Amino acid sequence: MAQLRRDYQKFVEREAEVVVVGPEDKENFVKYWEKEELPFVGLHDPKHKVLKLFGQQVKIFKLGRMPAQVLVDKQGVARYVHYGHSMMDIPKNEEMLALLDHLNRDS
Amino acid sequence: MPQVEIDTPAPDFELQDLDGRTVRLSDFHGRKHVLVVFNRGLS
Repeated sequence: MAQLRRDYQKFVEREAEVVVVGPEDKENFVKYWEKEELPFVGLHDPKHKVLKLFGQQVKIFKLGRMPAQVLVDKQGVARYVHYGHSMMDIPKNEEMLALLDHLNRDS
Repeated sequence: MPQVEIDTPAPDFELQDLDGRTVRLSDFHGRKHVLVVFNRGLS
């Protein structure tokens, strides 16, 4: 999350919003959010309905839920989908930013 | 489990933000791209 926070302005400049879906209950999520001073839109999903909708992988016998990232363009179409296989398996921001540049050029 | 496929419409959803406001993915349509992030740690 720190990488995303560092580059948040670059996302904003490319007309993108970062929306973080957290499975935690609201109280814990708010504490985490305030402690880290995150600038994103934070949504809590206590019933995991969006996690299920987006097909986030759950590895019950490993580390729990795996990270996932979906870039949705202004038309609501998914342009990048990444399902991580470990907590370290996260796409680089540069990749997302380059894709946003591409989308903005085409629009 | 179904997963989101590239170049297809992402399923819309509706959740509350930390201030209790309802946010839909479709709220951003026509205005902003959205990077939806699930379960990232602090890295």
